[in-house]
Amino acid sequence: MVTDSKEVFYGLYDDEEDLLVAVQRAKNAHLDIMDVYTPFPVHGLDPILGLSESRLHIAGFVYGATGTLTAFLFMTWVFTRDWPIIFGGKPYWSVPAFIPITFELTVLFAAIGMVVSFYTVCGLAPGVENPILDDRITDDKFCIAFQTNGFSSSEMNNLKGFFKSTGASKVSTKVI
Amino acid sequence: MAHTHNHSTKIDFTFPAGAKSLLLGGIALGVICLALTFFMFDDALHTRFWTNYLHNTVFFTGIAFMSLFIYCAFTTAYAGWHTVMKRVWESYSQFLIVGLILMLPLVAGVFLHWHHLYHWTDTSLMDPANPEYDHILAGKSGFLNKYWYGFGTVIILGVYVLFANRLRSLSIKEDENGTSDWSYHQKMRNWAAAFLPIAGFTSAALIWQWVMSIDAHWYSTMFAWYATASWGCAAFALTILTLIYLKSLGYFENMTDEHLHDLGKYLFAFSIFWTYLWFSQFMLIWYSNNGEETTYFYTRVHQYPVLWYANLAVNFLLPFFVLMRNSTKRKYGTLVFTSILVLIGHWWDYFMMIKPGALHTAHEALGHGHHGDHAEGHHDAAAHGADHAADHGAEALTHVANNTEDIAHAVEHASTFEAGFTLPGLLELGTMLGFLSLFLYVALNQLTKAKLEPQKDPYYEESLHHHV
Repeated sequence: MVTDSKEVFYGLYDDEEDLLVAVQRAKNAHLDIMDVYTPFPVHGLDPILGLSESRLHIAGFVYGATGTLTAFLFMTWVFTRDWPIIFGGKPYWSVPAFIPITFELTVLFAAIGMVVSFYTVCGLAPGVENPILDDRITDDKFCIAFQTNGFSSSEMNNLKGFFKSTGASKVSTKVI
Repeated sequence: MAHTHNHSTKIDFTFPAGAKSLLLGGIALGVICLALTFFMFDDALHTRFWTNYLHNTVFFTGIAFMSLFIYCAFTTAYAGWHTVMKRVWESYSQFLIVGLILMLPLVAGVFLHWHHLYHWTDTSLMDPANPEYDHILAGKSGFLNKYWYGFGTVIILGVYVLFANRLRSLSIKEDENGTSDWSYHQKMRNWAAAFLPIAGFTSAALIWQWVMSIDAHWYSTMFAWYATASWGCAAFALTILTLIYLKSLGYFENMTDEHLHDLGKYLFAFSIFWTYLWFSQFMLIWYSNNGEETTYFYTRVHQYPVLWYANLAVNFLLPFFVLMRNSTKRKYGTLVFTSILVLIGHWWDYFMMIKPGALHTAHEALGHGHHGDHAEGHHDAAAHGADHAADHGAEALTHVANNTEDIAHAVEHASTFEAGFTLPGLLELGTMLGFLSLFLYVALNQLTKAKLEPQKDPYYEESLHHHV
């Protein structure tokens, strides 16, 4: 399998407010940000980056509805066709008694479905190694990364100037 | 990021003259509807009048109570997002004193037998010498008696009023001379924390007395939670509507979509919580199939099917599917639509808690002793039978019917549609609008008495930066 290695030029900021200002300036200067890494969700970052709303919750609704139907139709089939049993003098098709199980399966399908979808979309799985630009991104630093494959030195200087003027505390290059 | 918060926002509320006259007109409409009900469209016991009065008093007093409870819960939980609009809940909680006054005629009615909403007010049933001796009511008479009802209502609501006033005055004093030592907020936190356990226990006692004891033989341990959750949904719905109205007048500029989003989430969550309690109460009773418990639901499902199924549709399906998406909690249109329907839906829910039981009690009282119509008048006695083993017919002749016409009327309609009981009629809607107008009049009037936004609250700044 051939993997394209990426040359990444990145800068670290000490504060999320500096990061937000820097991202806005990069956008204004039409710099093509590869990604932004932060140790916690930064409010207001997504709209500046122009990220669209996650569609995970739509998938969650579909998984949940699948769970609802699975539970309800399965119980309906079991108790009216396959193996009808009278419980406590109630009718075979006793909807109120199905509700708790239907609810549980809705939650279960939605939860498992969303976790699996999320892991798949993010390329996460047990044993997968994800390259990390700088360990402190997971602790207290905020990172803006540019992919610089084939950049000319003037383009690189432009990025360096950007990091300097926006107050990045560390600038570095890494191939991932 | 550019946070543009307007610190010189409009914070002095003036009650718009148009709204004032509209609300006063609404109050007048309510009074007229109550009077019409009492004098023209009622049975001998004025059951329709008293149930309408009780229904609306309990519903709107409950909204005021839940507003105070939510306010205290948020204060205790160090919440900051709601601070910008917390004056709305303060002003809602000021309705509690009005609720207390509105409860007084009902309390007096229990002592003086003005109404017969509660079966247990007939103390002769608790006399073992009486052939109609009711051992269940006798067993409950330690709690279901006029003293508990009267003093419970006055004392418990009085305590709520005390807390509401205390928190309100501390909050206003903070506006005037609050400093960064936050001493006022510290005191408010103590009062708020003290209120939570008091509210938790006493609200259940009030609901048992006011609402659940209408079906005096029946009881459910879920009932207090379920009824309180209903108040909670209504309180959030009314809060959203008031805030959007005030925003349309140019107030609360700092209260953004973010705050409305959170209120929408609370409305969504409380609706699901209400459904959970509603269903748990139903399913346990349905499953155990115990005659003295199932009678409550048997009556409602079979004789009030529209009330019963619409209740679930409006209070669960509607907010669940409409408010599920992010965007619908941030748009005025969907929020207003859902809030109005949920507010009416929970009013409807209380209607169903109160009316069938009260109608049954009235039928029994009015049909009592009317020998010929005995069977029809007690058409639902089968469900009620276990508790009424005593044969009504035996002693029927010893009672003299004092208003034959009314009895005939009540008995004749026992198994058919009955305006104001089977469904809310125009008089019920008018009465509801009257009480709603009174509630809003009190609340908006309170809003004029303090700054709309508590700018010296330690969490005010945090609230301005709220971001979902």
